Formats: sequence, C-alpha cells, structure tokens
Amino acid sequence: MQSNPEEQLSSQPENTPGSEQQESKSPFQLAMRRFMKNKMAVISVFVIFFIIIICVMAPVFTDQDPEATNVLLIEQGPSDEHILGTNGQGQDNFSRLLYGGRISLIVGFSAMFFTLVIGVFLGSLAGYYGGKVDGIIMRAADIMLMLPFLVLALTIIAIIEEITIPIFVMIIALTSWPNLTRIIRGTYLSLREQEFVHGARAIGASDIRIIIKHFIPNAIGPIIVNATLMMATYIIIESGLSFIGFGIPQPTPTWGNMISEAMNVRILREHPEAWIPPGLAIFVTVLAINFIGDGMRDAFDPKSKQR
Amino acid sequence: MYKYIIRRILVFIPMLFALTVIVFGLAMAAPGDAISGNELADPNVDPEVYEQQREALGLNDPVPVQYWDWISSAAQGDFGNSLVYNGRSVAELIEERFANTLYLGLFSLGITILVGIPIGIYSARHPYSLFDYGATGFGFLGLAIPNFFFGLIAIYLLSIHLGWFPAQGTLSGPGQSGFNELSDRIHHMILPGITLGLAGTATYMRYMRSEVLDVLGSDYIRTARAKGMSDTNVLYKHTLRNALIPIITLMGFEIGVLLSGAVITEQVFQYPGIGTLFLNSVTNRDFPVVMAIALILGTLILIGNLIADILYSIIDPRIRYD
Amino acid sequence: MRLKNKWFIFLIFVLAFGLFLAACSGDSASEGDAEEPEEGSDTEEEEPASDEPQMGGTLTGAMDTAPAGVFNPIFYEEAYEANILDFTHESLLSQNDSLEFEPHLANDWEINDDQTEITLTLEEGVTWHDGESFTADDVVYTYKAMSSPGYVEAGGIRTEYVVRLLGYEEFNNGETDEFEGVVAEDDHTVTFKFAEPNVTILKDVNFPIIPEHIFGDVPIDEMTEHPATLNAGEVIGTGPFKFTEMLEREQYILEKNADYWKSEPYLDQIVWQVVDQSVMLGLLENGEIDFIGDPSGVPAPDFETVDALDHVEIIEQTDFGYQLMGFIMNHRPDSQVESGELNPDEWIPNEDMSNQQVRQAMAYAIDRQAIVDNLLHGHGSMINAPIAQQFWAYDEDAATQYEYDPEQAEALLDEAGYEDTNDDGYRETPDGEEWVVNLNYPTGNQLREDSAPIIADFLEQVGIQIDLRQPTEMTAFQENLTDNNEDWDLYLLGWSLGSGDPDPSALWGTEAAYNFSRWNNDDSEQLMAEAMQPPEAFEQEYRSEKYSEWQAEFSEDLPALLLYAQNKIYAFNERVNGVEPMPYSFNNDPELWWVSESEE
Repeated sequence: MQSNPEEQLSSQPENTPGSEQQESKSPFQLAMRRFMKNKMAVISVFVIFFIIIICVMAPVFTDQDPEATNVLLIEQGPSDEHILGTNGQGQDNFSRLLYGGRISLIVGFSAMFFTLVIGVFLGSLAGYYGGKVDGIIMRAADIMLMLPFLVLALTIIAIIEEITIPIFVMIIALTSWPNLTRIIRGTYLSLREQEFVHGARAIGASDIRIIIKHFIPNAIGPIIVNATLMMATYIIIESGLSFIGFGIPQPTPTWGNMISEAMNVRILREHPEAWIPPGLAIFVTVLAINFIGDGMRDAFDPKSKQR
Repeated sequence: MYKYIIRRILVFIPMLFALTVIVFGLAMAAPGDAISGNELADPNVDPEVYEQQREALGLNDPVPVQYWDWISSAAQGDFGNSLVYNGRSVAELIEERFANTLYLGLFSLGITILVGIPIGIYSARHPYSLFDYGATGFGFLGLAIPNFFFGLIAIYLLSIHLGWFPAQGTLSGPGQSGFNELSDRIHHMILPGITLGLAGTATYMRYMRSEVLDVLGSDYIRTARAKGMSDTNVLYKHTLRNALIPIITLMGFEIGVLLSGAVITEQVFQYPGIGTLFLNSVTNRDFPVVMAIALILGTLILIGNLIADILYSIIDPRIRYD
Repeated sequence: MRLKNKWFIFLIFVLAFGLFLAACSGDSASEGDAEEPEEGSDTEEEEPASDEPQMGGTLTGAMDTAPAGVFNPIFYEEAYEANILDFTHESLLSQNDSLEFEPHLANDWEINDDQTEITLTLEEGVTWHDGESFTADDVVYTYKAMSSPGYVEAGGIRTEYVVRLLGYEEFNNGETDEFEGVVAEDDHTVTFKFAEPNVTILKDVNFPIIPEHIFGDVPIDEMTEHPATLNAGEVIGTGPFKFTEMLEREQYILEKNADYWKSEPYLDQIVWQVVDQSVMLGLLENGEIDFIGDPSGVPAPDFETVDALDHVEIIEQTDFGYQLMGFIMNHRPDSQVESGELNPDEWIPNEDMSNQQVRQAMAYAIDRQAIVDNLLHGHGSMINAPIAQQFWAYDEDAATQYEYDPEQAEALLDEAGYEDTNDDGYRETPDGEEWVVNLNYPTGNQLREDSAPIIADFLEQVGIQIDLRQPTEMTAFQENLTDNNEDWDLYLLGWSLGSGDPDPSALWGTEAAYNFSRWNNDDSEQLMAEAMQPPEAFEQEYRSEKYSEWQAEFSEDLPALLLYAQNKIYAFNERVNGVEPMPYSFNNDPELWWVSESEE
C-alpha cells in the first residue's frame, strides 16, 4: 500500500570480511559511528523514545480507562476531565491516544519482528542451501507476491471471526515475508562463493554457525534498514485497514482506528481534537522511523560516505 | 530472451493454479455465504426461499465439487455469475470496473513518474538547496500520511470548500463523448490519482535523488567530466540510464502496490473500480467475483514484472537471461 | 548528515498542520456566527418561495451505496434498487400515511365474504413507458411469473405475495400449466383467487406490476439477464419517471414520464448520485446534492449540523423497524442444526437466559432512554413491543414498560438466586458457579456497534459479568445466530419491517427461522394464530385486540428487549417542494415534487 520494503534497499552491502579480524571495530560498530553523526536520525531516535515513554507511562498521564464507554458523554468537546473530548461511544480520546500508541507501536514492531523472523529464516534457508530448498521457498514467495498485499490480507481477515492483536500481527507477517526473503536470499547468493565461506566450511564449521557468524552479519545492513521501514509501513497499513473496517476492532484503541472513526465531514470540522492528535502521532512516528531508516542506510552503505 | 519469457510463462501457469486453490480455500473457509448476504435477510422473505437458492447455486455441494465446477468453467473463460449482484456475469462486473481502475492506476503512475523523477533529478543536481529541502520534506510527508486520511482532507478542502474538483465518482454524468468525456474523466481522477500516487511519488523522488547523487559521485562520471563533457551531457548520457534500472524494477512492483492502494483510495472517492468491487465481494462472500479478481490481479502483476524484466534488458544490455 | 535542515522542514509541516487545524476550527466558529454570505448563497433566496409549482428542473439525490443493478420488481432485493423502482413501477394499490390501502393502478375493488377472492377494476388509459397500454394481462403475468417453477432458483425472493394464491402449489411444482390464482376478467378487471380465506388480502395484491409485452416470452431463468431488467433506457414501468440513463455505480438518471396517467410530473429529471456517507453532509451543504432520502437518511449525530444549515430542511419520522437485544432462550440440538429443521420439542434450554426473571432484570438494568437521548441524540424512541409504532396494531400501553431501574434489576436477580457470593463484584449463578453472560453483535450499523459496550456497561453495573465478544460481519453473524447451538446468550440485531401487515409471526413464531431467541411460548403462539384466524380476523378491531394481548405477553416473557426504534432523518434543499414522505418511504408521489428556482 505504501512504500515497499524492497525498494528501500539501495544496494547490497559491501563485503568486508577481512576487517572483522583486523580491527577492533566491527562493521556494525563502524556503522553505528556513522549513524551517530546523522543528526536527524539521532534526533528521531530520541523522538521515538519520547513517544514510547509517554505511551508506556500512559497511566501516569491519565487516569481514564481508554475502553470505558459512557452513554452520557458522547462526542463531547475538550474538558478538564477529558482533555481531548470523547468519541462516539463516550470513550476518552486522550487516554485512547496514549494507550492507542502502545497498540500501534506494538503492532508495528511485532509485525516487523515476525516478518523479520520468517523472512530471515526462509531467506537463509533458500540462500544458503540453494537447489531444491531454494526452489520451493522461492516459488512459494512468488505465489504470495502474485497477489497485492492488501488483497491477500483482506481475504484472510474476512475469514477470521475474532481478530486479536497477535492474529492481526501474524496475518501481516505471513503476507509480507516474501520481499524480505528475496532480499536476504540475494545477499546470501553473492556470499556463498566467497573465500571466507569456503574457508569456514573447510575447517568444519556447521551450517548454522556459518549462517550466524558470517552470513547474517553481512546481511545485517539490509535487514535493519528494511526492518525499520517495514515498521513505519505497518503503522500506516494498520490505519488503512481500520478505515475499511478490517483493522483491530473496538474497544481496543489504536491510532489507526481513532482517525478512521473521525473520517466524516462533521467530525473533521467540529471535532479537530478527535483526529488531529492521532493523525499527528502517526505522522511524527512514521516520519521519525523513516529518518532512522535513512540514517541506518547511510550508515550501513559505505557509499553514502561520499555524500 | 524469448526462451526466458516463455519459461516464465510456463512456470506461471501452475502458480496460478496454486493461487486459485489457495484463494478458493480461503473463500470457502469463511463463515456465512453470499445468500445470507451482508445485510440481514428481509424478514418478509421465507428463509426456505434462501435455502432453495443455495441448493440451486450449488452452495451446499462439497467444497471440492464446487472448486471443480468453478475451475472447469473458468478454464473455458466463464467465470460464472455473481452471487450478490444476482444474475450478473462476473466477467461483465469486472470489465465494467477494470477500465476505471486501469485509468486511475495509469494516471497515478503517470503522476508518479512525471513528478517524482524530474524532481528527484533536480534535487540531486542541486543538493541542499531550498528546493531540495522542500522536495525531501514532501517526500517524507507522502510516506507518513495514511492515504485515506490525505484523500478525505483533500475532498474536504478542495472539493467541498473550494469546489475545484469533483468529490466522487469518475464522470459528472453519462452520455458524454470525445474530448468532453476525457477532460471530465481527468478532472475526476486528479484527487484520487494524487492520493493513490502520493506514496509512490515520494518513493520515486527520494530514490531518483539518491541514485543520481550516487552516479554523479562515481569515478567514471568524474572521468567523463574531466574529459570536458558538460554536466548536462554527463547527466543524460551516463547517469540517467544507470539510475533508471532500479526504477524499472520498482515499477514492476508498483502495479501490486497501486492495486492495493486502490482498495482504499477507491473507497474514499466512491470510485467504482476493482478495489471497491473486491472489498464488497469479500465482505459479501461473493466468491466467484473474489476468485476472478484474484486471478486477474495475479496475471497482471506477473505481466508487470515481465515487462519490467524486458525493459531492464533493453536499458542495460549487460543483463542477460539464460 | 545529508540534510542538516531536516528539522526545519519538519517544523514547517507541523506548522502547516497547525494552520489547517486553525482553518478548521475557524470554520466552525464562523458557522455559529452571523451567516456570512458564502459563495453561492444568493440574494434572491430571501424572498418567499412562490407557492405555485413550477415545471422543469433537476433534483439530485444521494445514496451511500450503488444499487446492485437488478431493476425488475420481481427480482430486486435491496433498498438501493428500490430507490429506482419506486419511481418507475407501480402497484395496484398504495398505502396512505395511516397505512390504509388506497386505489392506485386499481381504482376500485371488491372482496367476497369469505375473503377468498378480490376483484379489482384497473385504471383505464394507463400506458407503459414505451406507449403500450397497461391491462389486466400484465397483472396476471406478473403474478404468474412469480409463481412459476424456477422463480426462486433464478434469484426471486418475493414468494410471500403468491404462496396463498389458488393452485400455487400445483403450478409452482410444474404439475399443471394452468394458473388459476389470478384471472383477467376483461382488459381492466382482474380477480385474485386464494386457496383459503385471506386476512392480508390487500397486502397480497399490492405488488409492482411488470409489462407482459416485454417479458412475456422470456423464460423465467433468463429474466435477470434480460436487457429490460438491467439496462437504463430499457426498463419499462408505468411510473411517473423513466429510468433513462446510468453511469453504473455512480449515477442513475430518471427522466419524467410526460404521459404519466395521474398528472405530468413537474420535474424534468431526478438524478441519484452515489456518494460516500463521510462526505454526504458536505455535498448537501454546498448544494451539489439536493436531498438525502432512503435508505440511509442523515445519521443522527449529523442532525444538528444539518439543521443549522439555512438552506436545508429536515423531515424526521419514525423508521419501520427496531433494534433489539435478544436472549438466546433455547439452543437447537446439533442434529437439528445439521438438518436445518426447527423442532421445539428437542430444544435445549439455555441456562440462565431461559429464566424470565433474569431477562426482566436485564431489561430494568439498561437505561434505554439514555441510549436514545445520547447515542441517538434524541432521534429515536423507546418501544416495548415488536410491532412498528405506525401500525394500528401497536399498543404502547399493553406492554410492560421497563423503565430504567437498577434497584429493581438487582432485586429481581437476588430473587432469582443470582447473588455475589464470593465478593468479586459479580453475581454467581444460584449454584454458586461463576456467571458470565456473552454478548454478540454484528458490524454494519455504527449506532448498534456503539451501543454494545454501553449495554455491557449497564449490565455490569448490576453485577452481571459480561463477555463482550468481538463484532463479526453480518454474514458470519447470521450463520452463527441461526445455528446457535454453542455458547451464545445475548445478541444484538435490528429488523426493518414491511409496511403491509403487522403480523409478527415470521419473527417471533416458535418455528420461525428468524426467531433467533428460539422463544417457545404457547400463549404467544395461540394469540398470533388467533389474530390471523378467519373469519374473525377480517375485523381489524379483533386483530388489534389480539395483538394487544400478544404485546403484553411478549413484553412480559421478554424473548428480546427492544432497545430503540431509530428515526429516519430526511434532509432536502429548500428549493425542493412538494416532498411528502410516507411512513415507509421517502419516495412518495414524485410527480408532485418541484423546484422553486429553475436557474440551476
């Protein structure tokens, strides 16, 4: 729907197997160093931390229950008790904003995490072993890629009667692993014939050890970059699914269902307090994650030094 | 090359088959059916009537039988009749909306390319200028706003308040022709087109910028420059060709992204395309329509990727297909 | 690093957002203030609209979903299609605002003593849109088509109008080609014959007529694919407007039928525009659409905003239907679910919900008035019996009024043995076990979805622990509800009723499929049967009495708590005149609609 993970990846990581042993600094540390020099990215890290802390500490900022309804307080404007007013079920918008942030971030993060797990696992299998394993995994990926993400996700969500957060996360992860798998496989294929891999095999290192010690570290750049950007995309996707009624249902608050609830002319005009805060929250969060992703890319992609 | 294309197509057929099995399985696993519909039954209608219709439509048959019925007629190009729009053939329903989605998709892809690429190039040639900052800012904006949100705000401000663009639909009325129809159609497509193309434009722009910057900074360009070629020359002779390669891969992908986006964008603008039809059919369990759309979209995406591959090899002759 | 000033840009965006915010709140402020002349609000507007209807003009109406596209009265299924067919097709009779049947295409009728036959005299000089004249043969044909074998298989659902006709069975299962049910005496006289005395005889003859000269030779199973069913310009009726053009899924254009038999319509055109609910209000405001009618109307929360518009008028009336919270009183055993049969003898009572005191307690525990006042913003009413308020049969006083009374609720629960024995704040069952009541509800109606957690709250306040299940789509919900052999206790649901006859047996009869509560009450059964029992039931007063008794029985035994009946809120631009909705429909006598200024 929004940006595609694969397109974010500008280039393959440079293989710097030698530097691992020579210097005390691993490529990872070098990248971190470069990252720290990117002011926007660093600031974004702080912004994200700030948002996370506010959401985690939600009970400190509000004593309202985000799920409690009140028939006597429907669509009220801001008041001392309800700083951002209430929604169509009399739920407190401010507490929904804070608790909703938790859910949105958790959904974004865990969907990213599971996509990563599936993608890295399958990508590693396919890229490392090649042959039949590769063939099967890649055909499966191709089939998944034959349908637009949303089409597949909608069909699955329509079947499941009770959408909980874990189920929602798994649906996203299960429908979006193929891109990542392809990227990782591609990276591995270029590594397979490298000398240091032959060397490791020669001294009898196990497959798992080779993958963990040599392959994953070399693919860490694209993995991290994609992971960040995926998280941003998922937060947007959750809101889009909410809008068409396929998101995480009430009473659980999310930023996505908060703005999609407000999507009609009357609320847009008369209750800006109901939709601007969650809209801004999504905007700032996604923006910050994108900055971080950018910073990561620059940091892991040595070419960017030239700029 | 031809061999490659033929092989891709041959691989594609069993995949398509697998796809139909998956989608059919999913459709059948869903509780409820099209006869009970998304609306509650009319209380004045005897439920026995609905049961008779189920029987007549074969909805009570075992799933493999239903699948066989479907695939055997689909193989002959007959996608059957919609269960919800009673009596209407699936092919007709899809045809009607397919053109709309195609126009919208092409229009928005056009915006994406015509806006995204030039801005990206310009930004790269004038890095750190005010324009560059503005463009980058826009790029982030495009990626950070959910598109239904952008669309509705655009309707609210530009259609309802300012009256510049129509808020809904594809045309202002039936019975137009020629240039009038074309301009009316385009007028209607501007808002949904921008909404749909927003994220894509942003992606292309940022992408193009960084590619061009990369190429401009690379050794061979420096050499070319040193040999006295003008910047513009260098840019068009060497840079663009290289920068376009990844953009083309992107475009192959873009089809799927656009179709996904269409589901939501079409909903906001009540734009009668494949996206709204799909959404409706999924919620109403109108599985003949769902299946047909899945098949068509799958085929489209494959073709998109195939075209991307072919373009790829035209632009960069070094790339070979065995 | 690449862009030092990204923060700067970011700030600009935040600022832009803020400005947008300011612009928005500015809007709402100015709205309340003096009415500043917005562009388009003309100066002549102030002068009183002339009372003389004017010819000409076009009206644009909005509906939120496009019709499915079957423009044939005997096959249509939904309200969106009805929005076209109401203008193009006509029935022999019509209903007035007190729901009495009045002459329409038939100007007179006579019913025999035992109500097995009705002879109607048809209006003369009525022509179809294509110029052919309308005759008794068309009436015979319409009913014959609906009775014919294969009608249901082809997608027709309106069998309720024909099943009582004489010889329906034999004709429908193909035993005979002879259709005896409806007979044309001459060109303008038609007789309907029923197998048994028919209490709802007028309702049964009140169905839109389709032209025989178009469909006469079309096999029933091809009718839904026939151009005269699907295509604008080819749909033929007798109504005041012709369906001439469409932009499928977007726009449906009705052109006046200048030869309409009653009088020439004032309007030239009525255009239905399909508009998303979220922007409808904005388009009504800027004049792009002129009216919002059925089936959605204006959502209750939007009422005040619409009411504040100077150029928009509102008509509000009670909707034909209600929302309810049902109690699953009995479950069907698995065997019945599988075979689809409904045999009350084998039903398994649902513990707790089958206890009348528990049901009544819940009724007292829910503040329905608060729901109407706040959730519906006052645009609805509380009812206690499941008969539409507009009917003669509705008897407010007969039913038990469950006023909000949490103490009464608690007392009833205590009495029934449901007490909080372990001090966890929730009541336990009389056996001392944990008591959790499930509440299921479907999506598709925003107000109903909003009401679910509120209802759960009310019930928890009297100590009933509620498991508020996630809402499911109506398709899935209805399947589970029909087969409820699992752990369902409470369900939310709404019914829209027909305006023809108040008989509630299709929803509340013990063996009715739609009796989702699986309510099994002999008194109720008997009262409903008596109310339909000829010949006594030919007298409306007698039926009325029986229905009063039935409503008392229903509300006491309470298979379902009726939550509210929503109001329909119709809105239209002040330039629209002559609109007089019937209790059951906005689309009434459109030939009398006219617009005051025709410069648009």
